[in-house]
Amino acid sequence: MPILNSVYRHREAGRPLTELAAYREAGGYKALESVLGETDADDLQYAFVRSGLRGRGGAGFPMGRKASFLPKDSRLPKYVVCNADESEPGTFKDREIMEMNPFQLLEGLTLAGYAIGAVRGYIYIRGEYEHQARVLDAAVRAAREAGFLGKDLLRSGFDYDITVYRGAGAYICGEETALLESLEGKRGQPRLKPPFPAVAGLYGSPTLINNVETLTALPPIVTRGADWYAALGPEKSPGTKLFSISGHVVRPGNYEIVLGDTTLRELIFEHAGGLREGRRVKAVWVGGSSVPVIGEEHLDTPLDYESLQGIGTALGSGGCIVMDDSGCIVRACLRLASFYRHESCGKCSPCREGTSWFERILQRMVDGDGRMEDFELLESLFRRVSGKTLCPLADGAIAPIRSAIKLFRDDFIRVCQEGSPRPEPMLPASVG
Amino acid sequence: MAEYAPVDLTVENQVEFELDGRRVAAPAGTMLADACYAHGVEIPIFCYEPRIGPPIGACRMCLVEVEGMRGLQTACSTPVAPDMVVRTTTDAVKEAQDGVLEVLLANHPLDCPVCDKGGECPLQDRTFKFGPGTSRYVEPKRHQPKPLNLSHRIALDRERCISCFRCVRFSQEVAQDGELTMQERGARSEITTFSGDPYRGRFSGNIIDVCPVGALTSIPYRFVSRPWDVQNTPSVCGLCPVGCNTELTVREGRTKRVTGRPEPNPAVEEGWLCDTGRWAYDASWSQARITAAVVREATGDRTATLEDAVDGAAALLRGRTAGILVGTAATVEEAGIAADLAGGALPGAVVARMGIPGGALAPLRALPGAQLGDVDDADLVVVAGGDPSAQQPVAELRLRKARRFGATVTGCGPRPHALEALGTFIRTAPGDLAAGVASLAEAIAAATRPVVMWDEADLAGEPAAAEALAAAIAANPAARQLELGAEVNGSGLRALGLPDAGAVLDAVRAGTVDALLLVHADPLDAPGRAAWDAALEGFAGPVIAIASHADATTERADLVLPALTMWEQEGTLVSMNGRVQRLRPGARGPEGAAAGWELLVALAHRLGVVPGYRTAAAAFRAVTAGRPAFAGITPEAAGVLGVPLAAPAQVAGASAPPPASGEGVPLVATRTVYGGAAARRSAALADTAAPAELRMAPDTAAAHWVNDGDRVVLRSSSGESGRLTVRVGDGLPEGVVFAPLGAPGSPTEGVLPADMAPVLVRVARVEAG
Ligand SMILES: Cc1cc2nc3c(=O)[nH]c(=O)nc-3n(C[C@H](O)[C@H](O)[C@H](O)COP(=O)(O)O)c2cc1C
Ligand code: SF4
Ligand code: SF4
Ligand code: SF4
Ligand code: FES
Repeated sequence: MPILNSVYRHREAGRPLTELAAYREAGGYKALESVLGETDADDLQYAFVRSGLRGRGGAGFPMGRKASFLPKDSRLPKYVVCNADESEPGTFKDREIMEMNPFQLLEGLTLAGYAIGAVRGYIYIRGEYEHQARVLDAAVRAAREAGFLGKDLLRSGFDYDITVYRGAGAYICGEETALLESLEGKRGQPRLKPPFPAVAGLYGSPTLINNVETLTALPPIVTRGADWYAALGPEKSPGTKLFSISGHVVRPGNYEIVLGDTTLRELIFEHAGGLREGRRVKAVWVGGSSVPVIGEEHLDTPLDYESLQGIGTALGSGGCIVMDDSGCIVRACLRLASFYRHESCGKCSPCREGTSWFERILQRMVDGDGRMEDFELLESLFRRVSGKTLCPLADGAIAPIRSAIKLFRDDFIRVCQEGSPRPEPMLPASVG
Repeated sequence: MAEYAPVDLTVENQVEFELDGRRVAAPAGTMLADACYAHGVEIPIFCYEPRIGPPIGACRMCLVEVEGMRGLQTACSTPVAPDMVVRTTTDAVKEAQDGVLEVLLANHPLDCPVCDKGGECPLQDRTFKFGPGTSRYVEPKRHQPKPLNLSHRIALDRERCISCFRCVRFSQEVAQDGELTMQERGARSEITTFSGDPYRGRFSGNIIDVCPVGALTSIPYRFVSRPWDVQNTPSVCGLCPVGCNTELTVREGRTKRVTGRPEPNPAVEEGWLCDTGRWAYDASWSQARITAAVVREATGDRTATLEDAVDGAAALLRGRTAGILVGTAATVEEAGIAADLAGGALPGAVVARMGIPGGALAPLRALPGAQLGDVDDADLVVVAGGDPSAQQPVAELRLRKARRFGATVTGCGPRPHALEALGTFIRTAPGDLAAGVASLAEAIAAATRPVVMWDEADLAGEPAAAEALAAAIAANPAARQLELGAEVNGSGLRALGLPDAGAVLDAVRAGTVDALLLVHADPLDAPGRAAWDAALEGFAGPVIAIASHADATTERADLVLPALTMWEQEGTLVSMNGRVQRLRPGARGPEGAAAGWELLVALAHRLGVVPGYRTAAAAFRAVTAGRPAFAGITPEAAGVLGVPLAAPAQVAGASAPPPASGEGVPLVATRTVYGGAAARRSAALADTAAPAELRMAPDTAAAHWVNDGDRVVLRSSSGESGRLTVRVGDGLPEGVVFAPLGAPGSPTEGVLPADMAPVLVRVARVEAG
């Protein structure tokens, strides 16, 4: 399927752009060259606002608006932090960008830095992305040698450099304030907000935090214009989005679509090659594991922020997990519950204790020891925990399970009585 | 309860808001949890502890409804706002409280019946008041080995921990000892030290006080009592001049525990104690405790009843001219009654106090004084000389807090010390403190609210520095001074007008006194001890000691009257910054002992002059009458939190010390409270005992032909030290040697003069290391 409007140059070029020369050939650093010394930082910020670009890390907050929250008159240095922690189950789009197209991210991060008057950019990359961190390190070195990073960029008087910082393997470090704590060398745990990072972020300084995909979209917005970007897709959520699709599909992988143009059915059946012979869609977590699950009846929903919200789920990180009718929804929920129990940072009591409790109950259900009162108990615990924690991780743990119980209540009741045997692996496991 | 920040509801321009339908007000910036508490509404909290630092919003216990805000809000971190409508008792709030308590208790062992915290446990109390009545948790509970020794004095029961982070934050932010951390994450989170080794810290015990459950308990207090079987008495710590306010837990006449006050004293310790002040109480029944009167006769020692011993003492003193020496930890009452004897029962007696003469300090003391709590509001804190961490422990925490609050910390002095890391510190050569002081003058002049802490011992020894510092402080009308005192009740003794010990020493030497009465005084273990040794050598008159513990002086005494300790007796102490505070009797003390002031009153009776007071309070009034420093101060006025003296406690008739004389290398001596004399009498603190070490830099060691580990003695024009072990360390200045005061056997005290004048010493090796 041809990609008509691609924002990511390696996709447009159809090959990796890990060499600076290759990236430049593909139009790289034109945006930075055109902006440095030419465009006023405020004008650049305004272009970001007009583009309508929304954060691709999960929450979908308008990028330009967030940049405008940074105080203009602060005496403290400002920072941009790129969130490359990508730990949401089912999400692997940032990985592709960093692996194939590191310079576009660096260019985007530099543009963001220029727009807010930052002194340095940080890329906080999840510890498991060792290869990608090396690619980034090499790219930073090459960019620095070529004068795209360091002192007096392109003789514009703008000093800016980028540091790649590797995390140590914690989902919570994707949450922006936990990320900042970790980046400062502390235990990765969310901070109490306010103050928000825009006011007091890294080392207490004003900080802009954006996802890899968000920042990588900036160079084309500069070269092709904010209006071009804003015209892609629906008015409220324009642009393209990388969807990572995994699970029971024939061609798992990343697909770039224009928001609003493609339905979930098209994503699964046209882009990802559909399901195995004779299987039907049972459940889909469209935006990563932290969003409410949906069933077959919603396959014709267009993929954009509003439409997905309209059917009670969310676009999230774009990590679309598909399960066909061979899977057990209760087991899937148990697996998710275990993930969140394992990843809860433990700072706040409802999440720390609640996620353990959810897992215990689901484990009993899968073991065939579920009780009817467990449904009421779970619902009551969800009510008591959700919205009362320090950060949204606990809500992310609750959303998929709570929605699954609602949507597949019969499956849950059956499993409570009969248990759910461990399924046979689909393919011989290859352990790397 | 101390867990909420005190709120001053009398200030102007308060923020008005609505609390459960009532119109109330609180100063801007007050957190809702504190404002509600001040208005009689208790919002349950666990992680919030305003003394530790800003809220962290971890436990989620304090959720309340605020109109117009989405979801419930944490009252610990939401400041009051004009016309805010707050509801604390709605169904949504109750449901949230039930929810948090339910999950906190889900894996809690509920071993309250065998938990030391039971009966005084915030988790218990809040569950009772706000929690669900039953549990829906049917899964197996998490188990952990219990208990673990977090240190020699602190037990950790991880099953009971609710991960409120208070202990970790205390260690990281208040004590800044970098010891504690939370390890692992989620439900596996557990408290530990970074290294896995025992918690090493000088303030570690405070984590027991702040822990809202029984996860952290005091090992010496483990299984000792239940809260309903004890009496808690507010008192003060008499182990150093800071004068921290304490609470004594007493059962069956014994002190079973010392804790910070539930209502801390914001002007002094703010609820924190050092580990010495917290755990030294077992010294009151240590080996060295004198439990019966001792009469030393040619045929040997014999014990006597208190009655007989007081009669004996009176018989020894009758018709003689006595020298009366009052020790630095004696109470105002003891010292005052002792002074009174000179006017009646022991006519012509010469009464003096131990401690630093301090003739050069008058100009400093005359300047406007600050309380320790005032350091919080300072923009500049200067530390001139000294080593607060070692000598006035809890002052360290106030300094660290001032720094956390953004104050600049700076200073000068001859010793490297722990607080130098807080700012710019100028290292001065011994005897040249004036140069350091001169370099601070500009900063003092430029600051808006400077507080200048100065070390009594160091400045007493260097009159030029004291004069320069006084001038620098006087130059800024906003500046205040705070004395880092050397002795527990030094201010109290000065305020009573007692001259320094030289008066008695001279009288002994000159033979103008022919009996000696020592009131908690141990001149043979103190600086100037060589002079006392010599003077007592030829002294033929009787020596009578009133003392609680055996020491070098009670060994020499002809009659020892056993006295009560600070944990057992009533009395008044004046802290280093002139705060008059009351000791309240907790424990009873040994059968054969009595309070020092009662012993003195009994003596007066036996000597035929009946004093006009029979209670400690009446004695206080009588002995402080006519003393300007005590004007208007009564035991009632001192109340539970104490009051500052009415006028500075100046010294009576002392002259400035001479500059260092003799030959050799300058010696810098430091008192150590942590691991010092009190610690050595305490079994609980045995492992902290500070060794008798002489520290010096490598080139200095080479210049004196000594190596690390050698045993040496020092000689100065004032005398000879006991044995010290050489420790060669990097990071120490060259050309000076450092030794502790209060080490076992008081070795260093032997080379020092009583006036703490700078000394030069020769180092002689007596044994290779
Ligand atoms: C538990 C949790 C995990 C998160 N993980 C990530 C992540 O891996 N990557 C990411 O970009 N954002 C993550 N976020 C969202 C970030 O907090 C933040 O909103 C985002 O980085 C902002 O960038 P954006 O506006 O460009 O999306 C996570 C949020 C939560 C609550
Ligand atoms: S919700 Fe969970 S992950 Fe977030 S702060 Fe609380 S314990 Fe940590
Ligand atoms: S040990 Fe006590 S103070 Fe420390 S985190 Fe646990 S409950 Fe809180
Ligand atoms: S600092 Fe001094 S007064 Fe305070 S507890 Fe320690 S020894 Fe006692
Ligand atoms: S007391 Fe407010 S969150 Fe813990």
